[in-house]
Amino acid sequence: MSEPLVFFTMALAFVGAAAVGRLPIGISLMAAAVVGGLAGGEGVPVRHLVEGGFGYFDLLLIILSAILFMKVLQAAGVLDSLAAGILRAFHRRKTLLLLASMALVMFPGAITGSSTVAVLTAGPLVAPVLMRLGLGTLKTGALVAMAAVLGMAAPPINILVMIMGGGVDMPYVGVTVPLLLLVVPPALAIPLWLGHRELGAVDSEHLDDILPKSWFGEYGWRLFLPLLLVLGLMASQRFLVRFMPDPGLPVIFLLGSLLGWRSGRSFDFLEVTRQAVKDAMPILAILVGVGMFIQILTLTGGRGWIVVSLLGMPKALLYFAMALGLVAFGGVSSFGSASILGVPFVLALMEKNAILTSTALSLVASLGDLMPPTALAGIFAAQVVGEPSYLKVLRYCLVPAGMVLVWGLVVLLSAETLERILL
Amino acid sequence: MKGIGHWRGNRLTAAASLLLGAMIGLLSVSAFRGMWEPDPVFPSPWLTRKAMLADYHPALKNTPGDTEVFVFEGGEPGGSLLVTGGVHANEAAGFMAALLLVENLKVEKGKVVVIPRANASAFTHSEPQEGSPQRYGIEVPGGVRSFRLGARLTNPVHQWPDPSLFRTPAGQIVAGAEARNLNRCFPGRPRGSLTEQVAWGILEVIRQEGIGLGIDLHESSPEYPVINAIVFHEKAAEMAAVAQMDLQFEGLDFRLEASPRNLRGLSHREWGDHGGIRALLLETPNPVQGRLKGRPTPELVVTGRDPFYLKAAGLGRLFIPYDTAGAPLSWRVARHLAAVEAILASLEEVEPDLAVAWSGLPEWRAVVEQGVGAFLRPGTGGGPRTDGGGGVAGQAGGGARRPPQPGRP
Ligand SMILES: [Zn+2]
Repeated sequence: MSEPLVFFTMALAFVGAAAVGRLPIGISLMAAAVVGGLAGGEGVPVRHLVEGGFGYFDLLLIILSAILFMKVLQAAGVLDSLAAGILRAFHRRKTLLLLASMALVMFPGAITGSSTVAVLTAGPLVAPVLMRLGLGTLKTGALVAMAAVLGMAAPPINILVMIMGGGVDMPYVGVTVPLLLLVVPPALAIPLWLGHRELGAVDSEHLDDILPKSWFGEYGWRLFLPLLLVLGLMASQRFLVRFMPDPGLPVIFLLGSLLGWRSGRSFDFLEVTRQAVKDAMPILAILVGVGMFIQILTLTGGRGWIVVSLLGMPKALLYFAMALGLVAFGGVSSFGSASILGVPFVLALMEKNAILTSTALSLVASLGDLMPPTALAGIFAAQVVGEPSYLKVLRYCLVPAGMVLVWGLVVLLSAETLERILL
Repeated sequence: MKGIGHWRGNRLTAAASLLLGAMIGLLSVSAFRGMWEPDPVFPSPWLTRKAMLADYHPALKNTPGDTEVFVFEGGEPGGSLLVTGGVHANEAAGFMAALLLVENLKVEKGKVVVIPRANASAFTHSEPQEGSPQRYGIEVPGGVRSFRLGARLTNPVHQWPDPSLFRTPAGQIVAGAEARNLNRCFPGRPRGSLTEQVAWGILEVIRQEGIGLGIDLHESSPEYPVINAIVFHEKAAEMAAVAQMDLQFEGLDFRLEASPRNLRGLSHREWGDHGGIRALLLETPNPVQGRLKGRPTPELVVTGRDPFYLKAAGLGRLFIPYDTAGAPLSWRVARHLAAVEAILASLEEVEPDLAVAWSGLPEWRAVVEQGVGAFLRPGTGGGPRTDGGGGVAGQAGGGARRPPQPGRP
């Protein structure tokens, strides 16, 4: 079979398994990888399936531990208490509340470069507050997902730029200003667009009706110690990298979880752990499946075919191809998209400034975390707001994502002018 | 359709999943283990001594980072040259050109130190999601020799986990996975990670062997601008320019690239800054490591002939001329060889006292015409391994079988 034919067979096998066979997404991806091996004349390449499946091993550990941390915060009453505190402070100023929520979710994403971490750590703090003030479940989910995606692109840490920079030997230096230019305008516009109309202000009399129970009275500041520990260690990864060894995100989340066990309401730690593993399992399976899928796609030449076909578009369509390709491939993995498509795109735009092109492309590529089937930001945001169908949340992301996409392309197209002004 | 909900999550499915997992593990383990054993090297009879990197940095002893260091000394006093291959183990021509030196070299003047597998750990695995073959074959007189195609980074089994961000020993902050990239870890740390220790070991070779000139052999993907290139530290600028002109005269085009001062941790930067030597890095084009490649077969490693790179060349996306002839490994090795010889010739012009002279090597055109395998030892049928230190003269080309070296992956 030719390369495009193998690729379409794999895509078909995936859709067939997921939509018709109703298999979980992760299993469907694995099945598509096996079908791809057979269609490409490689038999069942066990070594390649295992090798590809381990491609995101480190990310799996981070996700598993982050979900555990989130469950612990819920069980210990930390989230309720925090939501109550924020509500009390901001209930009269909805613009401020919206912008603060946005910033709060973006923060963990900005310092870890991962939208997943952003949604899972800050999402549960912000979402209940917004929903209690009248913002719909789906719009709240969309706001959290968009904040996570922008946080991932925001400085100081943008792993997508690091990946692209690593591919073209561009040091990760001087990216802060371009990234701020890319991230700040949509970060101001999106929360207001999503929430300004629905979010109600509440007067003090009715406030107590909607406030969740705060455990602050019983446990005091002790409640927030796990959160402070995790945020502190996460920040130290970035700012103290010179002085202290990096404990790694999984260990940070585990330490936070253990501390959370003893800092609030008491609960059965083992049972919460069991719940966390159960919640995490489908997502972990997706990432293993994605790893296998990409490995077989590469093995059978399909990846090369996709990259060269996109590069082969006429110049006028190239930007369109970039936007489409980076986001669509993000449905498999945004980091993979940055590496496989982002690097050739930066090279294809070599006549422009590499810092500006890679940062602008990173903003576009970050939207890949909203793209099914993986849609990490969407899936976790849906989980945070308690919505079973993440596709419904994604529907409300369409317009904001469109804004981000257009803004990214505008910056990319005006790179020459910007270079003179900024750099 | 009912879907699979009715058989989801009971004891039977759990047991079946565990069993399936164990089976897949058993089936794949031999494939992965197949890359743990280093391919044999058969040094030329004029080898002076074979050492290990741990002889220069003892902390590497019995670690997967330890690797062979081949030292050739000539009768006449002169300068000393270090050649490294396999800093990136997926760049086959770098390793192969260094191997060609080890298996043929006779040094007449000065000293030559060759480390063909600079990152030995990187040779023991393949990069996930690249679909790379584990091995490729080279035709040698009387058979085929099989070689491992490794990965760019150190094996995570040997160095794990990666930090979120990696601060290179030279002080630059880069993405976490680069902690396993030997060519970001120079000048190394004596008590650092495995990769940093290997980098430190190589700097120790430079110091203890009194190296004056270092050449690091690499390859890059054809869509990458630093290709067919000589990257030079400012201390080697004049030599690089002279060598480039000589190569041009031979019909070999090389770009000259100055080592950027703000890109830290790379061999051509830190060998010069910290080792105080003239440092250069050579790049040849290798389609199998690129992002545009079609099927990454063992043949692609050797022929460098790829339909998608051909298409990309037609689109003007490549930084090298590329046609149906592809970029064969023999041609890439020949380019490395020609460039190393041109650099040595220019050293003689610039610093006659530090010159190195050798014989025994084929002309680069002969490597292109007859293939690199014609100049490798016929190693099939279990020839001698290059374990055990000390004099190896006369060992090449079939001798007593020796047991595999203990404690090495
Ligand atoms: Zn390299």
